[in-house]
Order: sequence, then C-alpha cells, then structure tokens
Amino acid sequence: MHRFPPFVFVATGLALAAGLHAQDLVVKAAKVVLAPDSVQSDGAILVRQGKVAFVGAEIPAEARAKATVVDYGDTWLVPGFVLPPNTLGRDRDLAEASLAFTPDLRAVEAFDPWQDELARLPASAVTALLLSPSPRNVAGGIGALVKPGKDGGSVATAETHVALSLTQAARNPERPPTSLMGACDLLRTAFAAAKQGTGGGPDVAVLRQALGGSRRIVIHADLLVELLAALDLAREFGFEPVLVGARDAEKVLPRLVQQKASLVLDPLQPAMRVTQLRLPTRLAEAGVPFCFGGRADQLRLAAVLAVRNGLDRKTALAALTRTPAQMFEQQASVGSLRAGCGADFAVFRGDPLDLGSAHVATFVDGVRVFGDAASPAATPTPATAAGDR
Amino acid sequence: MNMNLLPASLLTWAATCALVATAVAQDVVAVKGGKVLPVGAPAIDDGVVLIENGRIVKLGKASEVEIPWAAKVVDATGKTVMPTWVVAHSQAGQRGFNENMQNVPWLSVADAVDPSAIWFEDCLRNGVGTVHVLAGNQTLLGGLGMVVRPFGRTVEDMAVASNTGMKMSLFAAGGGRLQQIRKLRRALGDLRDYLADFDRRKAEFDKEKAAGAVGADKTWTEEIDRTKKAGVDLVQKKLKGWLYVPSFAEMDEAMRLTQDLDLQLVLGPNMDEAIAMLKRLAKPVVIDETIEYYETDEETQKETKHCPAKLLADAGIPFATSLAVGGPGSYPWWQIGTLMRNGVSRDKAIESLTTVPAKMLGLDAQVGSLAEGKLGNVQILTGDPLAATSWVETVILEGTIVYERKDDPRLQYLFQVEQDKAKKAAGPEQPAGNAPVPPKEGPKADAPKTEQPAGTGNPGEGK
Amino acid sequence: MKLPTFLGLAAAAALCALAPAQDKPVVYRNARLWLGGKPPIENGVLVTAGGKILAVGGADTKAPDGATVVDCAGKTITPGLVDASFRAANNNDFNEQGDEITPHVRVLDTLDPDDRSFERARASGVTTVHVMPGTRNVIGGLGCVVKTWGADPKSMVLKEDASLRITMGSEPSQRNMAIRGGQVDSIYYRRPTTRMGVVWEARRAFYDAKEALQKSQGDPGAPPSAGIEVLTRVLKGQLTAVTTARSEQDLRTALRLAAEFGYKTILDDAQDAHVVLDELVATKSTVMLGAPSATVISGSAGGDGADPRSATVALLAQRGVPFVITTGSNLAALDLVREAMFAVRNGLSPTQALDAITVEPAKLLGIDQRTGSLAAGKDADFVVWSSDPLDPSAIAESVHVDGINVLALR
Repeated sequence: MHRFPPFVFVATGLALAAGLHAQDLVVKAAKVVLAPDSVQSDGAILVRQGKVAFVGAEIPAEARAKATVVDYGDTWLVPGFVLPPNTLGRDRDLAEASLAFTPDLRAVEAFDPWQDELARLPASAVTALLLSPSPRNVAGGIGALVKPGKDGGSVATAETHVALSLTQAARNPERPPTSLMGACDLLRTAFAAAKQGTGGGPDVAVLRQALGGSRRIVIHADLLVELLAALDLAREFGFEPVLVGARDAEKVLPRLVQQKASLVLDPLQPAMRVTQLRLPTRLAEAGVPFCFGGRADQLRLAAVLAVRNGLDRKTALAALTRTPAQMFEQQASVGSLRAGCGADFAVFRGDPLDLGSAHVATFVDGVRVFGDAASPAATPTPATAAGDR
Repeated sequence: MNMNLLPASLLTWAATCALVATAVAQDVVAVKGGKVLPVGAPAIDDGVVLIENGRIVKLGKASEVEIPWAAKVVDATGKTVMPTWVVAHSQAGQRGFNENMQNVPWLSVADAVDPSAIWFEDCLRNGVGTVHVLAGNQTLLGGLGMVVRPFGRTVEDMAVASNTGMKMSLFAAGGGRLQQIRKLRRALGDLRDYLADFDRRKAEFDKEKAAGAVGADKTWTEEIDRTKKAGVDLVQKKLKGWLYVPSFAEMDEAMRLTQDLDLQLVLGPNMDEAIAMLKRLAKPVVIDETIEYYETDEETQKETKHCPAKLLADAGIPFATSLAVGGPGSYPWWQIGTLMRNGVSRDKAIESLTTVPAKMLGLDAQVGSLAEGKLGNVQILTGDPLAATSWVETVILEGTIVYERKDDPRLQYLFQVEQDKAKKAAGPEQPAGNAPVPPKEGPKADAPKTEQPAGTGNPGEGK
Repeated sequence: MKLPTFLGLAAAAALCALAPAQDKPVVYRNARLWLGGKPPIENGVLVTAGGKILAVGGADTKAPDGATVVDCAGKTITPGLVDASFRAANNNDFNEQGDEITPHVRVLDTLDPDDRSFERARASGVTTVHVMPGTRNVIGGLGCVVKTWGADPKSMVLKEDASLRITMGSEPSQRNMAIRGGQVDSIYYRRPTTRMGVVWEARRAFYDAKEALQKSQGDPGAPPSAGIEVLTRVLKGQLTAVTTARSEQDLRTALRLAAEFGYKTILDDAQDAHVVLDELVATKSTVMLGAPSATVISGSAGGDGADPRSATVALLAQRGVPFVITTGSNLAALDLVREAMFAVRNGLSPTQALDAITVEPAKLLGIDQRTGSLAAGKDADFVVWSSDPLDPSAIAESVHVDGINVLALR
C-alpha cells in the first residue's frame, strides 16, 4: 500500500540513483557505536553499496576523499534496532486458522514490501524485523528477516527460525488442540517423528532441519506451565530454544541457564511490577541472552526502563541490536556496524538510552529512510536536500 | 427495647408433628446421669437437670438432687448435657427473605417464617434451641425480626419473642455502595421529618386547644402511621436496629449510625481492618457464617487466610457466631472448631453460640446456659459437643422432648435406608445381623476393639 | 499491598539456610505416631535426616548424636496426607477437547507447580496428590502423582504416568451438538451427545487397542498410535485405569466396560457405591470416595444423578471394599483431613479414616515405597498436628515434605 506524495518518489529515485552510482558515503558523528562494546569517539563509517565497508581509522584516505561526507556532528550513531518475531499486525495473513500445525508455511510469502507498518519502523529506529508466523498456531511456520526501505521493504533472509507456540493464543475451541496438554502432545509427537528418520511430510522435515541445527526453534510461552513445557521439549529433543513472552522467566531461571535458552521479552511498561521490571537485570546477571519484542515504538522505552531498574547500558543496547541478531543467527548482516554488515543505523542527539536524546535519523542499507539530513556543516547532496520533510 | 416474651404456656403442642411423633409435654423432666456442661459454670459429672413447668428448677450432682417420683427421667448416662445453642442472627427458615422493595420497615418476619422449613429441622438435629430470624441482607429497612424455637406447627407455636428489632443493611444490592448509604440516610431522614412534623402538628393542636381555638371536647386522635411506626421507634431508639455491615468499606457509615440509633452490628467476613473501630464501639457484634476467608495479594499472588473472629477475641470484643444453611457451616461443632483452629479459645467459641447471643437478644435470663430459673432448653449429645463423632441424641425445649435422633427421618434416610438397599442388592440369603446400622457413637481412637467392626476387611488389603 | 524486595530476599535467604538444615538429623519426641496401616505408637519417636525417615519407634528409639530434638508432647504425627483425586485450581486447561478420546495427553504438561491449590493443600497437611485430566472427555488422558512442594518443579513429580482417566456419565457429552447442516464453527459439533454415545466411544477405543494388541503379538515392531499404545498398557495391566462414575447406572457401566475388555479399574467419585456393593466385592474394585462430608454434590456435573449417603463410607469398610477418601471434583469439598473426619462421624473408625488418606492411596497409586506411611527409609513426608487430626479444632502445625517444613517457607 503506497500513499507517498509524488515528490517523495522523486526523492527516492534520486537517492536510489546516488546508490546505483556506487558513490561511497562517509557518515560521521561524535560517537559511533559499532557494537555495544565497541564505541568510537569522533568516529565515522564508510558505506559502500549499502554495506559498512570500513570503520573509523580503517577507512582508506583515498576512499574517504572520494566519498560524500555526511557529518551529524555532536550525535550518537548506533546500529539500527532489530525487532524480534512479529507479525507486524498481519495476523490475517500469518495465522493459519484452520490448522494448528503448519511448520512448513513461510512468513516471507505473506510479506508486503509496501505495508504501512513496515514503513513506520524507521521512525522507531528499527531497521530489521523478523517477520514471523503468528503465535496462534502451535507450529506457525518459518520466519524471515525483512527490512524497511525507502522504495519499499526488502527481504534480507527468506528463511530464518521456525515459530512454535504454547500460549493461550495457540489453543482455541475451533480446532484441536484446545489445551496445553494437547499442544505439548502435538509437538512431542512431531519432534519424535522428525527425530526418527527421514519419513514424514514437509512439515516434519522443517522440524528435522531445526533439530539438525540449521534453524532456531522459537517457542512462544508466557506462563510458568508453558515455559516448563517448552523447556521440557527442548531438553527431550536437544535444542536450545528461543522463548518469546516468558513472563514467568524468573521462576525457571536456573533451567534457562542450564538449557542455554534465549528470551524475547514483552516490552517493559512503567506500570509493571518491580519484579518484572527487574527481570532483564536478573537475566543479565545469570547470563541469559534476551531482547525485547512487541511493538517497535516501545523498544527504546523498554530498554530505558530496564536500565533504570539496574541493567547495564551495554547489555540494554545489545538487547536492541546485536542480541536479537545473534539469537536468530543474523549477526553477519544486521545488529552491528562492523565491516560487512548492512549499513543500518540510527542517529540520536545523545545516548539513545536517555529518553531526552532526540532521534535524528534512520538509515537502512546506507539510505536515509527517516529524519533529517546531516547538520548544516556538512555538504548536503541534492538527494538528501530534496528528501527533507 | 420492648420485647414481648411469650409465655410457654401459650404454646399448644401438637399430638403429632412432622418430626417427632410422640412429643408429649411433661410437667417435670429430669435429665440424669450425664456430664453436664452448663456454660459459664464448672462441669458436673453424673449431674441432674431438673425441669419443672418448662424451667430449670434444680441443677446439680445426682447425689445431691432429689428427683420427684412423678418426673419423667431421661437417662443421659455416658452422654453430655448442655444448653441448646442460640443463634443471634439468621435469615433462614423463611419463604423469601429478601423483599424486592428495600424500604419496608412495616414488615415482620412473623409473616414469612415457615414452620415446615428444613432449616428448623436441621436446627433441632444440630441442637439449636433459639433462633433470631430477621429479613435478608439485601434490604435497607427490612422489617421486624422475631425469636423462635425451631419447633411447632405455626409461627405462634414457635414464637419466643417478637418485635426484637429492625433489620437494616448496608449491602449494596444492585446499586453501588454509596447509593445504598445515601438511600439509608434518606430513609432515616424521612422518618425523622415525619416524626418532627407529627410532633409539630400535635404541639400546635395542644397550643390551639390551650388557647381555646379548638373545642375542649376535641382530643388529638391521630396516631403514627402504621407503615412508619416501627421506623419511628427505630429513630427514637425505642427499637433496636440489626445492621448488616458487609465489609470494612461500610464501617465508617455504620459507626456514624451507631451514634444516633440503638444498633447491633452484624459483620460480613471482610473485617480485619475494622477491629480498632469496633473496639471503640465496645459492643458485642454478630459475625456471619463465613468465619475464615482467603485473600490474594495482587502483587505477590500469595494467598493468606483471615479470621476476623480471632482478632475480635484478642481485642476482647464479645461476638456471636452465625450458622450457614446446609453444609458443614450449619453444624455448631464445625463453626466452633473453625474458630478454635484460628486460635479462639474453646470457651469463647462456645459462648459465641450460647451466652453472648442470649445477652444480645435480651434473653440472658432465659437461655444460653443451664441455671436454675432459666428455660429448660437442654441438648443431650453422645459425646463432647466439639467432637466430630458426637451426635445430638435428644433436644428438650422448655421441658418438652422435641427431638430424638432415633426417630429422625432424615438421618434414617442417610444411614438406615441403605440397610434395605444393601440387603436387596445382597439377596435374601444375606444374614440380617450383618446389616449396617448408623453409628451410635464415634468409635474411640484408643479403643482398638471398635476399630474393626465384625466382618470388616482392612480397606486396601488384597490390592 | 507490596512486598518489599528485601523481604523476598530474606525469605530466599531463609530458604537457603533451611535447605542444608534438613541434612542434619532431627528427632521428634513424645508424639503420638500414626504410622499408616499399623497401630499407633504412643509417646513415639521419629528421626529424620537428609529428607528421609531414619527411624520410627517407641520412646527408647535411639537417636543419632548431635540431632536436633523437637518436643511434640500432646501432639500427633501422621504421614503426609495423600489425596488420590485432587483438583488443581490455577487454570481450567485440563481437557484436550480436540477429540473425545485422548488417552495419551499428559496432565503433567499443564500442571503449574505454583498452583495456589498446592499451597492450600500443604497448609492442610497434604503432601502428595494425584492429579488427573478433566472429565470433559470420555478418555481424558494420563494422570500424574506429584508432591505438593519441591525444591524445583521436576523434583515434585513422583510418578509421571500414574493413571488413565475415563469418564462415564453425562459430562463428556455435555454441550456437544450434532451436525445438522449449517456452519460447523467449533469442536463441539461432535460425538458423543448421549450417555450411550459416551460408552460407545470408550468401547470403540478399547476395541481398537485390543485389535492392535492382537496384531502386534507376532510383530512387536509395529507401533500403534500414541493413544492406542496407552490403551494397550491398560489392557496389559501395566497402567491403572480410573473411571469417574458417580451414579449407580454409571458405576455399573464402568464395571461392565472393564469386564468386557478385561481390565481393572478404580471407580472415582463413586457416590452411589452404596448401591453396588456386591458388584464391588465381586470385581474386587477399589473406590475413590469424593468428599464424604457432602450430602449435595456440586461441581462440573453435579451429582450426575447420584444420591450420596452418609452411610456409604462405613458400608464400604464393612463389606471389605478397598477404598480411599479424596476431595475429588466436588467444589464444596473440605480439606482432606476434614473429609476423613466426616467419614469418622459417619461411622468409619479413626484408623480406617486416616489410612484412607495416607497409606491406602499411596498403595493405590504405587508410591507406597516413597510416602504415605512412617517407616525407616521412606521420604520424610509427615505432619505434626496440634492434637488428634480428626478433631475439628486440630491444625497442622508443621508439614514436612522431604524433611522440609513447607509451612515455614511462606
């Protein structure tokens, strides 16, 4: 669905043209966060063909001279946020209502590059999204890594994790299973079949690949019983699960550590109980990797609240960027600004973990998709000037 | 308070009645040989309770009390003899106790009490001898209550005292809590306005009469409106109000009302926080049948058990306990056991169903304990009144045996009909001696002989 | 009301301090000991260490040096109570309604170790419970036996596949609708819709299982479906069937079905057992009697036509029908020990009543090697009562699971 006014198309076209010309771009800022534990002062990155080619002092002088320089001045440049499993409001396309067990469905087939929700992600500094089948199915299907973009979204990785669910949403009276017992039984039977050999249809094959380690198994589980059931399955079939929701995670902390589980937490809200607000800190202390899920515009607040309740800033920033990338094995392309990664970043006027720091701009694949051009000190290219809103 | 005590002689005992076929009034009854627990006085082993014309005339050791030759002697050897229980507040035993219209001070439960209600049957079965029946809690000014004995064919038969007070309630039925408070204030305000207007007109009449404007032969004939009489009595403190306070949230209003009215508070379960207020009030209270309840902390999800009665006992506030309709809460021994489990002493717990409610009803000279001069309301139990194995064997109300367990049709249904069914199922060759009988007495834990009735295999053997 | 975090920490610290304490021997002296299945010992001694019972005996029982001594004069110690039919409260997710025959679903998967009903059970002296799937299906699934407390959820489990629940009566057919055209938009358009249909479903399932069993005689390799596999275990006598049947009619049906396919079944919540005593004796059936305090049955299906009588429990004892007392599915059920108390009121002997909530259910569930009685080597699951536990005023002063006083953990 595209409702952009015509001049935006012009701007897009120009920006695209600039990219196609293979013009290198050097983006400078007072602080460049390549990864949460690697920060450069007065740093810069060189973007070539949508990717980070060089960082800081590694940028060859020759390339720097040729490149267009965008200087954001006294700002922080951080990797774009990665939004973990999400249907992006497209439950109608991503929840197969007639069947509970559809592990071989692919979320990428329901991907609409012109979706409004996708276009809005950069406004929240989100540059990548793990589009995922809905938790309304016990086995929903295979997720995909997608990105927003000025000229519509793009698919970065067509097949990522396999999404399973044990939550209340997965059990309904319209089709079996209606209970947690039934959902557990369904998954246990399917995993057993997957483990047994080469039989079964394409659905079982997907689980077999997952058990073989070629894709992460992501299980939506909120309450203690659901978490225990998910962890039991993981132990029984020998995988390290990513658990989404995990409201009662604190109650199973030792097992999360023991079974090397990773968590995607619901976004923190100011009104939550203290125990819930402290959960990220407790997880960090125990060494359980976690990131925040939910709505894109709540990610930053979640990280800020976690910091306020004792989480160190590095881990909090990682939870928005590198951790989800690693969790879904996409760290080679998103989640940090190391050479080779996509040039997906956001510019903040200060530490992004202070709510007072204004969000200045967001770039995806080296193209600015949200916010202002560089400060007037830099030489504005015609493209960026035209793109100002 | 103008309570009308109805003399026992007014009662006409039926030759046959629903429950007991052979209840015959005796002029002199002697309950002999049991362990007498008079309540408020030391127990008497091998005691005698002598009842003449419905009242206790003598209470003492068997060796010291002479039993007249004409007396009907009830042998209570090996059993426990004690006063029947007194229930201070009950809405059971009526047909429809919650009037649809809330503000109905002119009604009386005398018109609703149903002598054939199972509840009254249960009362006798459980040794209850005195019940104060009031309108339900879903009311505002609910009408007049009455005290009954749970025996008789008509309400008149049953009546012990009428005009015992007005039922009032702060329970918000339908509307909100504040709405209920407002309605009650308005109802009382209307009554006061009416009374003031009445008094004013009467004073004017008297004044005019004194001035000669009205003929000397004319007198003031107007009376208080029939529908307002009881309400006017209430606001004039001539009548006691029985105010149901469902929770702590209504306590402020209840305390305010106690300043203007003669009130007896009847408390809902959720009263932990109200103890300090009740201590200031320094009056006995009634607690409803929910003695303990659970509350869940929203933050921690931890569940805690609460028992306001224990707090009342600790604060030295006398309280009367209510009985439920059906279920364990209808058994006095269970209610007393529940109080004791929560730390209330045995004596206080027993008093809450005997002397405290008796005093509350102004009947302390009649019921609640066994003493010379009081009504001959006696129950004979197979054992200690608080043991689960004890059954009420006999109930005597005002010298008349009104209940005997061996003739109780309900217990026969629950215990003895099985005998026939079992026989039928077993076929004709089943020896009759093997048929089960209802337990006469709880088998004693320390008497291994009674533990394995003849022909009983140990359950679980052969598995 | 908010619990300050330091309190939580303090509680955690107390827990840590307590956990090692169980390793040290503790001697409980001067108590009246109900052993379970044996005559009680007056002035007895109970010695525990490391979560196990070291010794039980009279006043002269030797205690290890350095043991902590607890004086229990005037008190009674019983084994931790065992509720053979326990209703967990936290969620209502005990029925897999996708099918009416679900023998292989496990209630353990949905059992919340934090269930608040466990806490209430512990407070009333219950240390072990048998939890079954709900009664909505004809064959509901596998029940499990768990302790009401454990250092972690896994350690609570005593037996994973303890029973198979079958339900007779009207419950499995309630709310079901026949398909008569129109839109089928829920799983309630299904069989059975009658009592006959309920039995037919069960019969068909067992028939399939029997057939699978016969076929596999020559070919042990061919695995039947998961559900059939569970049913064959019942037919082979390897898994206990528990049939919930309340009314006379349903009890007879349950026994008939069991006879037809040659399996043994426990009769759960058998309110009308007093009518079928001869059949119970003849088939050597065991009865789980739910809530003897009740004269009215409340709960998911009400009495289902049953007519509960106070005499039932004593009649079972007199006829030698093995039975246990449970809280069952009756919503109005009291604490288990009070149900035993009502059984005594109704004519059962105290010994039989206490056995029926301790050693008998432990035997029935096959966990008597671990718990349900006081004997050297068993788990230190026991309760110290303020007085005779069958006294209405008695309270559980301390309740021990694996030696740990779980009432002190709150």
